[in-house]
Amino acid sequence: METFFSKSDKIQHIIKSFNLTKTLFVSSIIIGEAHTGKKSLVRYLFPDTPLVSGNDQKEVEDALENNDELIITNFEKLSNQNSLDFTNKRIIATADYMGNPELIDDLFAFIYTMPSLQERPEDINYLKDLFIKEACSTLMIEDNTFESEYIPLNLTKNTKSLKRSVYIHLMKQSMDTQDIEEILYHYLLKHLDGNDAYREHLSLYERPLIEAGLHKFGSQLQLSQVLGINRNTLRKKIHEHNID
Amino acid sequence: MNTTSIDFKSFIEWDSNPFILFSDQGKILYLNNAAEILFGYVTKKELYDIALSYAPQTFGYKTTTLALNYDTYNFHAITVGYENEEQISLRLYNTPRIKAARKIERDKLITTDINILLEANIALFRTKNANPLKLLTDQDLPAFKIDQNNFSKLLRKTLNAFRASDSIDISLKLLFGQHVIIENKRVSIAQLSILANGRYADTDEEICTHAEVSQIKCILKERSIKLEIPLIQ
Repeated sequence: METFFSKSDKIQHIIKSFNLTKTLFVSSIIIGEAHTGKKSLVRYLFPDTPLVSGNDQKEVEDALENNDELIITNFEKLSNQNSLDFTNKRIIATADYMGNPELIDDLFAFIYTMPSLQERPEDINYLKDLFIKEACSTLMIEDNTFESEYIPLNLTKNTKSLKRSVYIHLMKQSMDTQDIEEILYHYLLKHLDGNDAYREHLSLYERPLIEAGLHKFGSQLQLSQVLGINRNTLRKKIHEHNID
Repeated sequence: MNTTSIDFKSFIEWDSNPFILFSDQGKILYLNNAAEILFGYVTKKELYDIALSYAPQTFGYKTTTLALNYDTYNFHAITVGYENEEQISLRLYNTPRIKAARKIERDKLITTDINILLEANIALFRTKNANPLKLLTDQDLPAFKIDQNNFSKLLRKTLNAFRASDSIDISLKLLFGQHVIIENKRVSIAQLSILANGRYADTDEEICTHAEVSQIKCILKERSIKLEIPLIQ
């Protein structure tokens, strides 16, 4: 069974409204950005209801004929929206965007708006932890080897980009020398070109080296000692790579 | 035809169109039954002012088409007349009510607990609005038959008219002793009333259309919407 978690008030109201209308023959639609959990929410509320995708118009038409209760995902993809008959049926639809507002208004009794992840910060941490757990298990990483609050989170594509941020961060954290060499190998294989490639690609090594060094040791003097190079050489390199 | 010997008074008295005779001071000299009820919703002065504004230039009678609305009363024309300097008469013509020729689509009607639909719609309203809202409802209201989808749309649009209002008061109750006749049967009426400090009127027409489909009488006012819902069994 699908589980669904949200602390957002808005979503709790949606769930309440759905729970009340579960037994009624009304048509509802949830509209919201992609990857905000619309389908998971519907599956959680209606685990046994047949589900069709708006990508396949014929399938939707057939399913409408044969079912009194139906979930239609990607409703915005349907091109025959105005010929659908929802009379005395329990229809639950999801859509990434409204399309024709008048038509939606006419077809559906309940029109819900799914808030984006950005609009419900209370859910971000829960999802992050969930993805970390999942990623740790998939990538076979011990989950105490990194600090989760330093993961840069990308929310532009809601849960999808959030999940990606977590995976990428964890992968980076878990790499050893061999992995890094392999990554560089593939990168260089693709990008080596011209007649000044050595100097051009030196920054791949020098920039992270100096940035991490400055972060770790604070002063240029100390870093130059750790690196075993002249202070002036270090200064020159800092300038070359535009490190502040 | 000689009409001088006929006493028209009782014909006017029992006419459903309000008739009022004012003195030149704006006092009421005579009013028929319909006008008496109308004065529950409009002041004497307002109607007298209307009579003066639309009076013919000289002795005689003048009918003007205009839309007047007082509560549930709608008038589409008035006649103002005077034959001397002391008296002026005002007659208001009721706008004919379009009798819904719509047949009840029985197969669409499903026995429903209105409180569930109302609560679900309030939850939907709550996903978009955080305005304070009070609900007083009669949990013992019997379930009745209604087109759930259409009625939900009606509720959504009705609530939506109050999307920016403060202190929304919703009450649902049975109108005791009131009935409508639907398909030759007496049907009780429940009233859903939503009152606030103000509301949007942009979807009033749609609200009326949805109401009509479900045989619901809607009374739209500046700060409130009332729906009189027949409890079809």
